[in-house]
Amino acid sequence: MDSIAVETRHLARRFGQHHAVRDVSLSVPEGAVYALLGRNGSGKTTTLKMLLGLLRADSGSIRIFSCNPRRERARTARLTGALLEAHGFYTQLTGAENLDMARRLLGLGAGEIGRVLRLTGLDERAARLRVGGYSLGMRQRLGIARALLGAPRLLILDEPSNGLDPDGIADMRRFLRTLPERTGTTVLVSSHQLSEVEQTATHAGVIHDGRLVVEGPLATLKSASAPELRITTSDDARACLIAERMGYQIIAGAEPVLLREPARRGGTEARAALNRHLVEAGIDVFLLQPGSASLESIYRQATGQDAPVIPLERVA
Amino acid sequence: MTALGAFAPLHAEISKLRRSLSGLMVLAAPAVLAIFVFANMVRLDEPRSWDSWLQGTTAIWAQFMLPMSMTAITVLAAQTEHGPRSWDYLRALPLPRWRLYASKAVMVMGLGAAMTALVVLAVPGAALLAGLAKPAIAATGSPDIAAYAAGLGKMLAASTLLIAIQLWIALRFASFAPALATGIAGTFFALTAWNAQNGIYFPWLMPINTLADDAGRAGLALALGGAGGVAVFAAMTTHLSGREHQG
Repeated sequence: MDSIAVETRHLARRFGQHHAVRDVSLSVPEGAVYALLGRNGSGKTTTLKMLLGLLRADSGSIRIFSCNPRRERARTARLTGALLEAHGFYTQLTGAENLDMARRLLGLGAGEIGRVLRLTGLDERAARLRVGGYSLGMRQRLGIARALLGAPRLLILDEPSNGLDPDGIADMRRFLRTLPERTGTTVLVSSHQLSEVEQTATHAGVIHDGRLVVEGPLATLKSASAPELRITTSDDARACLIAERMGYQIIAGAEPVLLREPARRGGTEARAALNRHLVEAGIDVFLLQPGSASLESIYRQATGQDAPVIPLERVA
Repeated sequence: MTALGAFAPLHAEISKLRRSLSGLMVLAAPAVLAIFVFANMVRLDEPRSWDSWLQGTTAIWAQFMLPMSMTAITVLAAQTEHGPRSWDYLRALPLPRWRLYASKAVMVMGLGAAMTALVVLAVPGAALLAGLAKPAIAATGSPDIAAYAAGLGKMLAASTLLIAIQLWIALRFASFAPALATGIAGTFFALTAWNAQNGIYFPWLMPINTLADDAGRAGLALALGGAGGVAVFAAMTTHLSGREHQG
């Protein structure tokens, strides 16, 4: 993963008075599954649309495999396949007819349809059905099949797991995980489903309020963050209070309670001390499990959403 | 890009017609006119000439059926993309964007031509059928199909301007309401002001003006409607391919 597939520098875009993207400088290595994370409205889709040349950037620069998409739109478009939130299928046509139309527009041979159907696991019988009768999962598969026409080097997927049932999500996870290995394609996927991304992505970037606030290989991001401690007790509210007094940071919204270990005073000794304090305070400890930082905690830290689970004044 | 590849967007437009309402509309409008002729003939007791039937339908076609059918076709053609929000996909393709819009224009004009050809076949066909069903009212004389086809062809050419305006509005706005309102308003004003002196400059009156006795007026309607339509199609293609689509 030495060469860079996508690189942006200080990308910004405004719609009227609304700054959709303020400053996004991302770097997607070739062969990576890069997850662009952020809540709804954080600027993910606007960023992806700028990469696809669908929206102009007010400022900043974009390079896709060293090409400038504004000056070399046709070339970069050939290198890129995309599945956006709106699939844009003609529902009166069959899946195969939709693919056939797309491959003609791309100037590809008829054999290409069979290749992308095999890659996405969409069987030929399903491809002969009208898209109007497809489930959302089938539409997603068809969308990815269409995006893979012409074997693009970069695949851009906007929230591909949105609306999928658990089986569909698992299929998507498997597909994304293995795609770079099978085809050499770099995948840039936007999502707000952190647990899904954690299982599929090799790299992640977090967009918050139009700014890319953190980026890097997932393993590096995790190792750079303080380890975490998952606890379950007979009185979580008081346990949080005690932990916080000992320098632990409480990660909001996690279930069971998730604590970030103190930067310098963590480790086995500190955990034993916490356990002792809890027991001495008459709190039964059912679980005390150390682990590396989760993507959720990295995300929350990056977006400044760390806050006590329970207001401490109420606990006291 | 091969010569064949250059026509790929047009091929795609034709493919989208499969099982579509715009394809159905091409059949429906001439069928309505044919049923109208058949029903009117069989209710009569006296025969009329071929000329009277054919000329009668050209006026209805020029003033009402053609503009309204083309309104429906342009709206349906645009909704083919607005409905499933396919613009982002299409505009991200490695094709010059103007080709997408130009192909849409060619396809819509093609549907107009197909509809005109069906009228040329369906109306005399309906008159023949009525004559067979009720021989007493069979049209007299012989039909001048070539002149009929030429007249309808001129009307289509003169309606290029109104079709271009309709298509531009239909493609520009994701809602079908502005294009439909324009079509209804244009046809309404054309019906109420059909003999106005300056009506020749009104796009919805250009098709009917090709029937004018004054050859100069008919020629002007044809030139304005045809050349104006081509110019508006060019402006539409430039405008739409240059603007950002935020659908």
